[in-house]
Amino acid sequence: MFELLPPFLVFLAGALILPLIPNGHPRSFFSLLVPIASAYLIWTMPEGLHGQVSLAGWDITLLRVDKLSTIFGLIFSLAAFLSLLYAWHVRDTVQQTASLLYAGAAIGAVFAGDLISLFIFWEGTAITSVFLIWARRTEGAYHTGMRYLVVQVGSGVILLAGVVLQYLDTGSIAFEAMTLGTPATIAIFLAFGIKCAFPLLHNWLQDAYPAATVTGTVVLSAFTTKLAIYALARGFPGTELLIYIGATMTLFPIFYAVIENDLRRVLAYSLNNQLGFMVVGVGIGTPMALNGTAAHAFAHILYKALLFMSIGAVLFRTGTAKGSELGGLYKTMPLTMIFCVVGAASISAFPLFSGFVTKSLILSASVNQGHYIVWGILLFASAGVFHHSGIKIPYFAFFAHDSGLRPKEAPWNMLLAMGLTAFFCIAIGVYPEPLYQLLPYDVDYVPYTTTHVITQLQLLFFSALAFTILMRTGIYPSEMKSVNLDFDWTYRKLAPALVGACRHLINVVWGGLLAGTVKQLTRGFDKLQNAHGVEGILARTWPTGSMVLWIAVLLGVTLLITYI
Amino acid sequence: MSADTTKNPKTDIADLPWLGRKLLWLDNMKNVDRIVYALFVLCTALFAADFLYHKHTYLTIEDIPGFYALYGFFMCAALVICARAMRVILMRSEDYYAPNDVEAEEYPRDQLGVDDEGETKHV
Repeated sequence: MFELLPPFLVFLAGALILPLIPNGHPRSFFSLLVPIASAYLIWTMPEGLHGQVSLAGWDITLLRVDKLSTIFGLIFSLAAFLSLLYAWHVRDTVQQTASLLYAGAAIGAVFAGDLISLFIFWEGTAITSVFLIWARRTEGAYHTGMRYLVVQVGSGVILLAGVVLQYLDTGSIAFEAMTLGTPATIAIFLAFGIKCAFPLLHNWLQDAYPAATVTGTVVLSAFTTKLAIYALARGFPGTELLIYIGATMTLFPIFYAVIENDLRRVLAYSLNNQLGFMVVGVGIGTPMALNGTAAHAFAHILYKALLFMSIGAVLFRTGTAKGSELGGLYKTMPLTMIFCVVGAASISAFPLFSGFVTKSLILSASVNQGHYIVWGILLFASAGVFHHSGIKIPYFAFFAHDSGLRPKEAPWNMLLAMGLTAFFCIAIGVYPEPLYQLLPYDVDYVPYTTTHVITQLQLLFFSALAFTILMRTGIYPSEMKSVNLDFDWTYRKLAPALVGACRHLINVVWGGLLAGTVKQLTRGFDKLQNAHGVEGILARTWPTGSMVLWIAVLLGVTLLITYI
Repeated sequence: MSADTTKNPKTDIADLPWLGRKLLWLDNMKNVDRIVYALFVLCTALFAADFLYHKHTYLTIEDIPGFYALYGFFMCAALVICARAMRVILMRSEDYYAPNDVEAEEYPRDQLGVDDEGETKHV
C-alpha cells in the first residue's frame, strides 16, 4: 500500500501482537523492539512526502519527512524505548498496550502532513494516555483521568472545528505554517495551546501527571506536551504572541513548584516552565530560535524523564513521593540519587549537561532579536528552575532530614533505564555536535565560551547560595502535607459551587411556585368538594316525603298563579 | 503514607550499599558545614572572576560586575519569599479535593516494590 512503512503502524502492530506474548520477560523484551524498529524506519526515511492516500476525497499525507519531524520522531522513539525499559517489571497488559499505542499516536502526529490525520493522531494520544492514569486503579485516579480526558478530547474537538473552518476558508487541509487571525487559525492555535499547557489552560498537566502510575508518569511526560510544541513550531513559527505566552509560562509555575509538596507535581510544574522556553523559541521564530526549541525539546524529554524516573523509583520503593515524608534516602538508594542529580544538573543547564547547550540557543535568540525583558524573565526562570528542580527535588528526596525510611535500591531495570538516560544527558552536554546536526537549520553556535560558562556558573551557584542561606535561616518554606490552589480551583470548586447555588435557587423558586399552585388547586378542590362531595350541599339525600311536600307546594303555587 | 516496614533508622551500616556507606560522611553536620563553606569560597571566586577576564556581552546590563551572580541570588531569594507568602492564600489541607483526587490516597500497595525484590508480580 505504501512505499514506506509509517512508524505509527509499527506501534499499532506491536500493541496488537503484545497481548499474545507470554506476560513476563518475553513480553517486556518484545515491547523494547517496537521503538527500535520505529527509530530505524525514521532514520532511514528519505526526506519528502510519502504515504499519500486519497480517503473519501481527502488527500491524506501520512509521512511528511523533514528535519523538524525527524528529530521529534527520533526523540519520541528514544523516549518510548527508555520508558518501556523502565517499565520492564510491569505486568499490566493495559499499561503495556497503552504505552505503545500512545507513543505510536504521538509519532504518527509528528509525521502527519495534513490536518485531518493530525486530528486523528491528536485524539489518539488523548484516548490512549488516559489509561496510564486509570491504571492506578483508585477512585481518585479515576476522577483525575476523567478530568484529563475531558480536557484532552476537548482540545481535539476544538482542533477539528478549526480544521473544518480552515478548509472552508482556504479549501485545503494541508498542515502548513499559518497566520493567527481568522477564527479557523485561532481555534487551531487554542487546541495546540491546551495540549501545550498555556497559562490558565495548564492545570490538566499538574493534575494528571502525579496521579498516573509510577511508570505511567514517565511515559506521559515525554509525548503530549512536546507534540504540542512540535505542532506550534510547524503551524505558528514567528507568532509574536507566543513569546509573551511562553515567558509567562516560564514564570508562574516556578512559584508553585517552590511550595508544592508532591515531588512529582513539582516536576510537572517545572515541565510547564520548560515548555515556556520552547514556546518563546517558536514565537521568536528565527532559525536559531527554532533550532533552540527543537534542541531543547530533545534534551528536555530526556532529563525530565530521568527526573520522573528517579522520583518514580522512590515512590516504587517507599509508597510516597511527598517531600514531607521523604529524606535521607541517599544511604540506601545512592544510584537513584546520583541519576536524579544528573537530571537536576541537566534541567538547571549546568555546563557539561544537556540543558546548557540547548536552552542557551533560545536565550541568545531572544537577545539577538531585541527581546530584552523576555530575556530577563528567561534568565530568572533559569535560576528559578535550578532552585526548585535542581536543588529541591534531590534535596528533599535524598537528603534533608532523615525520614527513617530505608528502602532498597531501585530494581535493575529502573537503574538501567536511568543510567542510559543519564548517559544521554551528559553526552549531549559534553558533545552537542550530533544533536546540532539533527536540528532543522544549520547551527552557527558555540555553547562553550568563557563568558557563557562563567556567567552561567555565577547564576547557578549564587542561586544555590540563596537556597543555602534561606534554608539555614529557616525562611525556606518547609515541606508540608498540603495542596495549593491553582487555576483548576475554578472548575473543580468554584464552577460546581456556582452550579450548586443555581440549582438551589431554581429549587427554591420552583418549590415556591409549585407549593403556591398546589395550595390554590387544593382550595378549589375543597370548594368543589363542599358543593358536590358526598356530604356536599348538592349531594345530600332528601327524604321522599319532603319531595312530595315540595311538589304539592309547587302545584299549589301554580294553581294560584293560573287562577288569580 | 509511607510504608512502615521500611522505616528503620537504626540500620546496620554493613547493610547499606557500598556507595551509601561511602556517602555516610554527609550524615555529619560538620561535613555539611564544610560543604557550605566551600560554596561560599566558590561563590566568592566566581564573583571575582568577573574582574579577571574579558566578558563578551550583548547588553549594557551584563557589564555590571557580578551581574549574573547578583541576579541569581536576589531573584531566587525574592522567588522563595513570594512563594512563601502565596502559601497564606493558596494552601489547603491534603484532602481538600478528596475523594476526587489522589492526593489523600495511599498508593496501591500491590503495584509497589516495597516488600519484594521488585521484579515479579507487579500489576
